[in-house]
Amino acid sequence: MSLWVDKYRPTSLAKLDYHKEQANQLKNLVQCGDFPHLLVYGPSGAGKKTRIMCLLRELYGAGVEKLRIEHQSIVAPSKKKIEINTIASNYHLEVNPSDAGNSDRVVIQELIKTVAQSQQIQSSTQREFKVVLLTEVDRLTKDAQHALRRTMEKYMATCRLILCCNSTSKVISPIRSRCLAVRVPLPSTEEVCSVLVGVCKKEGLNLPTELARQIAEKSGRNLRKALLMCEACRVQQYPFSADQDIPETDWEVYLRETANAIVNQQSPQRLLEVRARLYELLTHCIPAEIIMKGLVSELLSNCDGHLKPEVAQMAAYYEHRLQLGSKAIYHLEAFVAKFMAIYKKFMEDGLDNFMF
Amino acid sequence: MSKLSLGGKTSSGKLSSWVQPSFGDFFGGSGLNTLPSTKGLSGESKSKARSSSADVGGKKPKKRKGEPQISKLEPGVFSSRRGSEENQDEPWVDVHAPQTQAELAVHKKKVEEVESWLRVHLDLKSTNKGGAVLLLTGPSGCGKTATVRVLANDACCHIQEWTNPTTAEYRTDDSFRESFDPASRFNSFHSSSQAAAFQEFLLRANKYNRLQMSGDDGAQERKIILVEDFPNQFYRQPGCLHDILRRFVRTGRCPLVFIVSDSLSGDTSSRLLFPKDIQEELSIHNVSFNPVAPTSMMKVLSRIATVEASKSAGRISVPDKAALEQLCSGSSGDIRSAINSLQFSSFTDFSLEKSLWASKKGKSSTSAAKPSARPKGRGRSAKSTEGLEESPAIGGKDASLFLFRALGKILYCKRESYEAGDVPKLPAHLSEHQRDKLLVDPELVIERSHMSGEFFNLYLHQNYMDFFSDVEDVARASEYLSDADFLTAEWTSRSTMLEYGSSVATRGLIHSNTARAQAAHQSSVGFKPLHKPHWLHINKTYRENYLTAQSLFISFCLTPVSLVTELVPYLAKLSNPMRNQAQITFIQDIGHLSLRRFPGRLKLEALGDKDPGLLDLDSDHEETGTQSTEPGTQTTLPGDTTAVPTLPNSQEPGGDLPASQPQPTTAEALLDEEDLLIEEYDSD
Repeated sequence: MSLWVDKYRPTSLAKLDYHKEQANQLKNLVQCGDFPHLLVYGPSGAGKKTRIMCLLRELYGAGVEKLRIEHQSIVAPSKKKIEINTIASNYHLEVNPSDAGNSDRVVIQELIKTVAQSQQIQSSTQREFKVVLLTEVDRLTKDAQHALRRTMEKYMATCRLILCCNSTSKVISPIRSRCLAVRVPLPSTEEVCSVLVGVCKKEGLNLPTELARQIAEKSGRNLRKALLMCEACRVQQYPFSADQDIPETDWEVYLRETANAIVNQQSPQRLLEVRARLYELLTHCIPAEIIMKGLVSELLSNCDGHLKPEVAQMAAYYEHRLQLGSKAIYHLEAFVAKFMAIYKKFMEDGLDNFMF
Repeated sequence: MSKLSLGGKTSSGKLSSWVQPSFGDFFGGSGLNTLPSTKGLSGESKSKARSSSADVGGKKPKKRKGEPQISKLEPGVFSSRRGSEENQDEPWVDVHAPQTQAELAVHKKKVEEVESWLRVHLDLKSTNKGGAVLLLTGPSGCGKTATVRVLANDACCHIQEWTNPTTAEYRTDDSFRESFDPASRFNSFHSSSQAAAFQEFLLRANKYNRLQMSGDDGAQERKIILVEDFPNQFYRQPGCLHDILRRFVRTGRCPLVFIVSDSLSGDTSSRLLFPKDIQEELSIHNVSFNPVAPTSMMKVLSRIATVEASKSAGRISVPDKAALEQLCSGSSGDIRSAINSLQFSSFTDFSLEKSLWASKKGKSSTSAAKPSARPKGRGRSAKSTEGLEESPAIGGKDASLFLFRALGKILYCKRESYEAGDVPKLPAHLSEHQRDKLLVDPELVIERSHMSGEFFNLYLHQNYMDFFSDVEDVARASEYLSDADFLTAEWTSRSTMLEYGSSVATRGLIHSNTARAQAAHQSSVGFKPLHKPHWLHINKTYRENYLTAQSLFISFCLTPVSLVTELVPYLAKLSNPMRNQAQITFIQDIGHLSLRRFPGRLKLEALGDKDPGLLDLDSDHEETGTQSTEPGTQTTLPGDTTAVPTLPNSQEPGGDLPASQPQPTTAEALLDEEDLLIEEYDSD
């Protein structure tokens, strides 16, 4: 029994549930048997990977679904050994080069080179190129991106690249201009609802539209999250009731409580407690940016309108620091401390006005 | 030197081997393994003194080359020295070794502590439970050995000391007979390890009393076993020592005293050889000595100076008071080196001496002229920092601070108010930034703490919150810490920026603590326990979990972020089988967050007053790179596990002192003592 997310993932471009027009375009694109490098971008849970896999299937047939996990080790020029996991079929290779950290440049060059240098054996019956799927391109270092640009040109004959990322803002423009950019937007709430209902029907369950809508809204239209939520609902209670609680992940609840703790009291002692909570979140693998984002949205919803611009500005400032600095806790804590100071001052001023 | 003395030694050595240590005194002449209890400092000091007096000979001509007009005097100088050779060759450290408790330059409380311990454990009849072990720690040259010797002398007991045998003496009873064979000396050293010899020594020393000689008065039948010199093997395998000690504690009959010098460079042998749990298990009493206080050092130095001056009848020029003070501050509490350098500077011709001290004199005389006008506490630190900042005096030591003290200096940030005259006032709109004069130099403190600025900042970050009472101050302080991290972000410029970063952090912290801005309002914050930083541990766990997540769930083909924020947490909520054990445990561990109000997972690990920093984690900063969120190329650091708290003691952040805090009372006493020293110094 696999997860609903995987079980009901559409496998061909024709079966996609939404963005049908785009699906058609993609189909036309590969119809002629060849396509340019692609840059697929869009928010998480919109269906980028699903579309890419559909596209590959359209190109190569069912053979692309036979995946195998490979551990590759690459020796960098500095004699450093880099271990990286790849997922590959006979026709394509998927790799997340940012796993290699600062040595991602070497990974990109070596991997693409090995793939591109081996010709397809039966080029008569098959396509004459392989596909390399690079995920999280926006997290590549600048170095690696420039290397990618060269590699792209060099091996155009034997290999196509599909780049996958959340936003193109961190992808350098030479790469953007060499690729056909395909944006995959989030599905609308209605589309999420219909997918959820459809999946439940296939499972033999009856999902009230009311609940489906709530799930869709709570998931932020992230379809993966919505399906996981729906499945969690199923575990929690069946038959569904329209007003049942939608299970949230523990860390989200925890983060909200942390935000409440910040709003409730502003003192060094409390900050120390908040620090311990931040550490707890970090040890549970929640990335610092996500903690920051979650905190800010919770805090913003908790504080007065007058404070919002200032808080947002601070958040932006420390988020930037977070990206540049090396120790996340300093910046997270500085943000919390700053918020506490502002909030406390605001409350005291408010109290004073109230008194007079 | 060796031919003759070696021959002599072997004759006694042949007969004795294992016996020799315990009967060493009997063979008086060999005198290598036991020193008479009344005799000065340890062998170490002797050799040091010798080498320094050898330096005198070596350096002097070199100095003279620069000043040709003086070089004429040289023969005269040398001949006069040769005339009084037997007197001058003796290092003053030995000549003037303390004979009574009053002469000891050690703090009275410490002496009393050791004395009372000795008194209790020397009384064989009352405490016949087993061997007792005392551990003396402290920086080198703070009088540990001297204290033991003086006290042993007072208590009329005899000190038996372990000295590491040199290679030629490796012999056990098995080779006893062979040793009559001249060739066997070379064959036999395989037969015994130092550790085994040490164990033998302890056993014998414990079992057998000294032979009663007719000349002895019979009073000295009690004895102390003293170990300063550890067989090398123990450093590699401390467990070996622990086993021997366990046996000793069970069967021992006389007190055993270990003396271990502290060192700042990570590998503090006292922690390695005597970890906390062993100390508890064997009820080892630990007395830790502080550096010799400047006051008591001055007393000793001036006493020696006057005695020597009168003895030498003008040949030895005694440095004046200012120069002595300079010596004091230059030695940073190491009385042995202070006496050595005193001896050295007194030997020299006055003109040479003058040129050596010339640069100092101007400064020190001004500082000597002033103190009367200065308030208490100030004089001392100002002088000592001045003295230390200059190029070190001859034999001067680089001062260093234990991390605990260094952090304390920054966090407590002692200030003093300006004298009425020279108050630099800030304009009205900046008056909130008005601060009293700082007594510490943050950069110097960091330098002395022997840590990289980055690590120092981590320690500060872990601990600063307790010292603040106002949120706004905390906000400002945390901003400075954030700045500091930001400064060092770029790896190309990191090596330069590190210093600026730590400077920003320390000065920022000090400045933003408005509660401690004025000297007058610096009420005592009381003792606050300091802790080791969590960040390194947290960051490591984060990266490990991140990688584990990726490798366990690679078949889901997800980006790591959505993997850990969406899939794993929801998997924890689903009862989905078809997963292997590793995945299930991981999901249980990471997917679930206990929703308790305050996490209990973090254990605060207290920072002891002599603990070194987490130097074993040093290796990872380069790899963390600029993006801490990137899983990067982590090689998991094996040395790291030592940093994981070994004293589990869950503590809620708001709670009180954890029990793992090493005796806060003594640490408090240490701090008090520091205050005490300040006053003592000012009184003269």
